Amino acid sequence: MIIRTARPYGVSLITAHTVLLTLAFLISTSFSAAQIEDFTAVTDEMLTSPPTGEWLSWRGTPAAWGYSPLDQINTENVNQLQLKWSFALDDTGAVQAAPLIHDGIMFIPSARGVIQALDAVSGDLLWEYRPALPTEEFINSGEGTRAAVLPPGAFAGVGRGVQKNIALYGDMIYAATETASIRAIDARSGLLIWETQVADPTLGYFYTAGPIVANGTLVTGITGCERYKEDVCFITGHDPATGEQKWRTSTVARPEDPGGDTWGDLPLRFRAGSDAWVAGSYDPEANLIYWGTSQAKPWARAVRGSDGDALYTNSTLALNPDNGQMAWYFQHLPGETHDMDEVFENILIDVDGRKSLFKMGKLGILWQLDRETGEFIKGTDIGYQTIVNLDPITGKISYRDGMIPRIGEELNMCPSTSGFKSWRAMAYSPDTSAMYIPITLNCELATFGPTERQLGGGGTGPVRRVNYHHPESDGNLGEVLALDIPSGEVKWRYRTRAPFNTAALTTAGGLVFIGDWNRTMSALDAENGELLWQVRLATSNQGFPISYSVDGKQYIAMPVGTGGASWSGSLPRELTPELSRPRNGSSINVFALPE
Amino acid sequence: MKTSNLPTLRAIFGFAVIALVTGVSSGQENAVIWEGVYTAEQAARGETVYTETCIACHGQDLGGNSNSPGLVGMGFMFLWEGRTLGAFYGKIRSEMPTDRPGHLPAQDYLDVVAYILQKNAFPEGSEELPSSVETLDSISIVSKP
Repeated sequence: MIIRTARPYGVSLITAHTVLLTLAFLISTSFSAAQIEDFTAVTDEMLTSPPTGEWLSWRGTPAAWGYSPLDQINTENVNQLQLKWSFALDDTGAVQAAPLIHDGIMFIPSARGVIQALDAVSGDLLWEYRPALPTEEFINSGEGTRAAVLPPGAFAGVGRGVQKNIALYGDMIYAATETASIRAIDARSGLLIWETQVADPTLGYFYTAGPIVANGTLVTGITGCERYKEDVCFITGHDPATGEQKWRTSTVARPEDPGGDTWGDLPLRFRAGSDAWVAGSYDPEANLIYWGTSQAKPWARAVRGSDGDALYTNSTLALNPDNGQMAWYFQHLPGETHDMDEVFENILIDVDGRKSLFKMGKLGILWQLDRETGEFIKGTDIGYQTIVNLDPITGKISYRDGMIPRIGEELNMCPSTSGFKSWRAMAYSPDTSAMYIPITLNCELATFGPTERQLGGGGTGPVRRVNYHHPESDGNLGEVLALDIPSGEVKWRYRTRAPFNTAALTTAGGLVFIGDWNRTMSALDAENGELLWQVRLATSNQGFPISYSVDGKQYIAMPVGTGGASWSGSLPRELTPELSRPRNGSSINVFALPE
Repeated sequence: MKTSNLPTLRAIFGFAVIALVTGVSSGQENAVIWEGVYTAEQAARGETVYTETCIACHGQDLGGNSNSPGLVGMGFMFLWEGRTLGAFYGKIRSEMPTDRPGHLPAQDYLDVVAYILQKNAFPEGSEELPSSVETLDSISIVSKP
């Protein structure tokens, strides 16, 4: 890699770029310590089939296996892994980083829109993009929709600034922000090239998932759709060169649209939820992207005022990335009513010649769909939930007797509203033909409460929660569950007192890497679940581990961090009170074999 | 599915506690929350703390988001009606802010409670919220008599 060092960028360069800014009120404070000279533009072909050792998509490839074909680190030598370098990430918000690797450079997102480029071998900082808050002077000027409403310093109500993933395409890094905009950043320099405001953050819209690029279109899914407003959640496609929006597809069926009657008589303003808060997958042969949607809001039917299916909530959507048209949808949990989200990652695997999509939501049902048609193929209930029955032939679910919540009446349910499965993505290994799934074992006495049905109201609805350990957990919150694909049979379970708090990573070395809330990073034998190596890190492991190679040497990278949702705080605090984690210490930690 | 006795016992205990508190809350002494238990000045201080520390998750309007409960209106009363200000204060003192629970000065927590009471239209009074947890425990959160 050739880099030009110690070249801070002046105002003139930034000014030159601002002609492309869709909104110019955000002053970039990008600081570049180096200019990367020999950066190779990332093509569609490279995204589909990454060069050896590269990690170009948030889960490795558009098929989202979370699998590295590298095998230098394997079951025989993993116990020799050593820390090669570590780099502190911002502690100003939640970190759930999914790093990317290209041309020997690690690009890593952290809280509050910060993105850093690091030498993947040495850990040296190459550049850093750090967005600035709007200045007080600018806010007082009244320019810009955000500035007129948001007070200085406040990203009000949009969480803790998490950005899970970024995308690489051409010579750009693409990011989606906590203020509902998307950004293009020069991958060579860290300079902001353009920024496009996609939605109004004062209505609650924001991003936690980053974009993907599919057939030359930048695709992002919005979240923050739980409050009642005169619009609904959506997925958009953009021109990567300019940020211009090419299409916008609602994730909620509008009253006048097909499926519009699945919300009963509720007008558009009271059709909330269906957030698209986890990045999708892409099949270039079918030219379809696969994106999940969240549950309807408020969570409980009785609170939201409809027991209809509420399309297209809790569904997998297959969209044409060129125009956003929906090729098919599959609604996993029609009329969902317990906060059982199905929004998570879509893993594309061909099984016996059948192009399939695998997915699991909070309930712990592993779905296999035909990704060309959306047809249900198979559902595997991992057996921990107490809420629904699954028809194995049709894939239809029905609620068990007495399990539809009523306002103010306590319900005993497994899982809790935190779910068994969450954003911690499962990983597939073609070597073992198995899926490795991070599970949190927990249940809840839940009492759902009412909310105001008025603009600005709504939300999830309140829930009185009493969390408790799952009866089959032996006091453990954490489980890595290995399921054979396609049979769904359990290969093994690996349990820990602390919940697992990262995605799983599989490698051709026969390994599964995963990290837990209690600071422990582990390597397991993918074949039998045997623990082969462990290390304690600065704080809770959190994010998406990856593997890559540079100059023939393989590395494993594990992000750690804090912040996030209830399952990363309340469950361990209440159910494993003897465990604790430092409240800061976000970092990326890179391991390799000795020289 | 098999269930252990633990959740059942916890449920019974929970019901008992709620019933007990609800029963007590109907007593006249607990309507004191409607007679002014904080001052406007204290709520103003609480707003400053809230804006600096709480707003990112609970929102400018205290309405919450998917991961943070609302602190006003029906949602707040559903979660807290029949319980005491002491319990509410204890909850946020021990668990908030989530990235550094308990790390604010005790007065800041009291001031935030005052701000939340103000936003829920509980009336201001001439005395600030007492710092004694025992006294806070004697004030129930109840609907307007």
